[in-house]
Amino acid sequence: MNTDLRYSTTHWGKNLILFIFHLVMVMYVAVIFYPLFNMVVSSLKTTREIFQNPFGFPRVPQWQNYWIVWVEKGFYRYFGNSLWVTAVSMMFVLLFGSMASYGLSRYTFRLSLLLYLLFLSGIMLPLKAAIIPLFILVKNLGLMDRHLSIILIFIAMALPSTVFILSGFMKTVPKELEYAARMDGCSDLAIYSRIVMPVSAPAIALVTIYNAVPIWNDFFFPLVFIQSDRLKTLPVGLSSFFGQYSTNWSLLFSGLSISILPMLILYLLMSNYFIRGMTAGAVK
Amino acid sequence: MLLRRELQKRLWITFFVLPGLVIVAVFILLPLFLSLFNSLFSWNQLIRGEWVGFGNFRRIFFTSPYRERFFNALQNNAKWFLVTMVVQNTLGLVFGYLLSRRIPGYGFFRRTFFIPVLFSIVAVGFLWGLYLKPNGWVNAFLKLVGLESYSRAWLGEESMATFSIIAVNIWRWVGFPSLVFLAAIDAIPLDCLEAAYLDGAREIHVFSRIVLPLIVPALTVITVLTLIGSLNVFEQIYTMTGLDGSPNYSTDTIGTLFYRTAFGSVDSGNPEIGIGSAIGVVIYLLTFLASAGFIAISRGREVEL
Amino acid sequence: MLKRSHGIAALILLFSLPLFAGGAKEQKSEVSPKGSPAVSAAPVVIQFWTWRPEDVAVYNKLIGIFQQQNPGIQVVQTAHKNTEYNTILSAALSGKSGPDVFQSRAYGGLETFAQSGYMEPLENWVPELKDFSESARRGATSIKDGKIYGVPFASQTLFVYYNKKMYQKLGLSVPATWDKFLANLEAMKKAGIQPLANGAKDGWTLEVMMGALSPNFYGANDFFNKVIKGETNFLDPKFVQAIDKLRDLIPYMPSMYMGVSYTDMQAAFINEQAGHFIGGSFEAGYFSSQNSDLQYDFFPGPAAKEGDPNYVSTYADGNFSMNAASSRKAEAAKLLRFFASKTTGEAFIKELKQVSQVPGIDPTANPFIAKVLSVQKYSTPYIFLVGFRYQQPTGSSLAQAALQGMFAGKLTAAEVCKQIQEGIATYYKPFQK
Repeated sequence: MNTDLRYSTTHWGKNLILFIFHLVMVMYVAVIFYPLFNMVVSSLKTTREIFQNPFGFPRVPQWQNYWIVWVEKGFYRYFGNSLWVTAVSMMFVLLFGSMASYGLSRYTFRLSLLLYLLFLSGIMLPLKAAIIPLFILVKNLGLMDRHLSIILIFIAMALPSTVFILSGFMKTVPKELEYAARMDGCSDLAIYSRIVMPVSAPAIALVTIYNAVPIWNDFFFPLVFIQSDRLKTLPVGLSSFFGQYSTNWSLLFSGLSISILPMLILYLLMSNYFIRGMTAGAVK
Repeated sequence: MLLRRELQKRLWITFFVLPGLVIVAVFILLPLFLSLFNSLFSWNQLIRGEWVGFGNFRRIFFTSPYRERFFNALQNNAKWFLVTMVVQNTLGLVFGYLLSRRIPGYGFFRRTFFIPVLFSIVAVGFLWGLYLKPNGWVNAFLKLVGLESYSRAWLGEESMATFSIIAVNIWRWVGFPSLVFLAAIDAIPLDCLEAAYLDGAREIHVFSRIVLPLIVPALTVITVLTLIGSLNVFEQIYTMTGLDGSPNYSTDTIGTLFYRTAFGSVDSGNPEIGIGSAIGVVIYLLTFLASAGFIAISRGREVEL
Repeated sequence: MLKRSHGIAALILLFSLPLFAGGAKEQKSEVSPKGSPAVSAAPVVIQFWTWRPEDVAVYNKLIGIFQQQNPGIQVVQTAHKNTEYNTILSAALSGKSGPDVFQSRAYGGLETFAQSGYMEPLENWVPELKDFSESARRGATSIKDGKIYGVPFASQTLFVYYNKKMYQKLGLSVPATWDKFLANLEAMKKAGIQPLANGAKDGWTLEVMMGALSPNFYGANDFFNKVIKGETNFLDPKFVQAIDKLRDLIPYMPSMYMGVSYTDMQAAFINEQAGHFIGGSFEAGYFSSQNSDLQYDFFPGPAAKEGDPNYVSTYADGNFSMNAASSRKAEAAKLLRFFASKTTGEAFIKELKQVSQVPGIDPTANPFIAKVLSVQKYSTPYIFLVGFRYQQPTGSSLAQAALQGMFAGKLTAAEVCKQIQEGIATYYKPFQK
């Protein structure tokens, strides 16, 4: 049987449409890479040069910016802290998020829609709105100036969209798969971990990158809850380049260029999972 | 026997759902509700005063200048939703479908479309601010292709500013629906599609009669996330035209209005916690009702396999 | 199938790796006070917050001097991002914690924390306050109870910067009147130089422009005192005319000025692409640090007619305040008294190029500051900040938005004033009579 669904046609009208969209996609990629390039080039300029000559190459590349940011401004430490906080948060987001999605999408029960909406209602207003009660909560739990405070907040912030997206996908996993496993004597936990999770890999990869980025880039909660310099995260370090009337754009761009790297790597890793799921093969 | 299985099922559901639910309840819903409760009181600066019932809500809806500000902002949120749905999500659907058909360059596109999301919003705001300013790239490009008369102060003109920010946001996010739809279409069992192609069905029919109905859950996810995102727009405005929704409130949204009312703005004003919280409640309810409504409708249209 | 679940396992492993790698790094790296070897007991630690990340080095220097003078006290400085400062501070103070000593905003910004009871009244803790000028103390005084809640640190003055080289080249002289100012702008335009750097994208820069230029048309202090008491209001023809005058500048602003932001303005003046910059004394430090070859000077807002004095708007920039819930008030007071001393005042003038509010400091070491002080001879309060930023909608927010409307050509000066008046009248008692 012909399983190659790659696009092929000889109809000129369809080819024209395809060509137009292809062109749009190529142009889009160009506008993706230009700012990225612009950001890195700007990191090698002085602040004055960034404004004087925003689109050209630096006259004298300021390589020392990276040294200043990494060593003098302590970014090596912030970087480690950010990796740690993001990794721990994401680990629990994926674990609890996929469990909840499984529970909400693979069982039919009366409260399911309500619970689903309860999860979802966690992203209906930015959590910043609740900063004062949150501050008192964190203080009473004795979590001030500890990574655990922001880790818990980040997990909570990422769970709603994780559950929402994942359960949407898990719903489309054919029931036959589950029945077959049950026949083989699999427990619910085994169905979750051995059947539904692997099949949902593309969606899991998607929510991973979707939620890791805001966690990685968030500076507000660490700014509020972390005081010790040795515990600060990367975005907090970046925020120190913003003055009241002047911003050190030169160092800021060096910091931003460093800061985007781990997310870029994570995305490239994750994008390997954005491929045709196992669903089709598994049913047969 | 039946009872035991029912009990077992409940235990499993509890086991799966509870950990996440507890964290969300404690760290989001509880503080959020405590904070929204503030809308029922009058406030003297940061100190809670007496109970005023719905007084703060009345001020938002019926008295100047909050009424004008609120409805002006809400209008902009509506623009956000409509333009994002029509432009971003349609493009995303087309991109996702083409990628699922493995068009040339598929692997490369798959690995690049999400890159804009990886940028910190600070970098996006600054770089696009640079491109959109009067002597920036966008106007230079228009001049190059002979459309100089279309040059604008993109972020400074009341009629253009909101659309310019939405355009930047679409640049940033269009990869997300593309990849979601790609994943959803890829999850459709191959035999469904193969059968259609063997029958010689037209491309457009395969798309509209087979693919679309099967990706309803993904469509719901994207629509609801767009809805929530549009009613919560904040950072994009904050970094590109500022907390006051410059110029002259033309880019103001209920998110920026909420923030500067509840927390004050460094350059222009003090917090009004009561009214700010009331705006928060309205945003919350609006978002909740709209998403719940949409989810309820789309649940009926899901096709189960 | 098996392969895929390996992938998931690897993914989870990837995320849990740092769990083991980074778990045990905990080391103390706080700066210990220098030059206090005699004290064996653990020092009292004072937390000190600012919204000036750009001034961290100068404050560290000051703190070093303070710690030398006060062995046994250690000051830990935290500089927060300016735009998030108020939010973080109010969260911390509402939670009954936060810094012992902190920078506080003046006027309405002070009122928020003072009326909430989060600030300690300072008259008794800091006796030096009585020597500060009346206008300095105004920014640190609560309008509700009249108590002083802060040690004022700097005043700001609004005026017009100009590029000296361009003035020399075109043979221009400093304009004393509005007509001469416009003539200078015209001469620059004719010579192909961008006359004004100012744009209108950031509303607050328009309020600054108004503060620098309008007092000479609305009648400075005379109008201010009357409008505060409600004896006149913003519909006063003199005020309307003062706002209308700003439109004379439109031909000299950059093309598509509605899209020109504050940073664009700064860049244009620093890189000598524009001849004038209407701004505040707070700019000078940044101008000089970015382009040391830039030769600039400033003049006060031009008078309406020959012979009239040139008024400038001034305001208190901010204060140092004490947390009412601090458990180390005696030590905090020592730091505040140090901030009220000449050592701090001189550091502000010399290192930060800011006009310190500390009384009795010799400004001659810095000619720029000396000149700012000299133009303050005719000063008037920066009207919306000093008088009308205590409640929403503030005069500032109303003026900023409406002025943008005027510069976009959508509102007339009379409509601008009407919006300001109606907005303020919703809560300002003297206007409701």
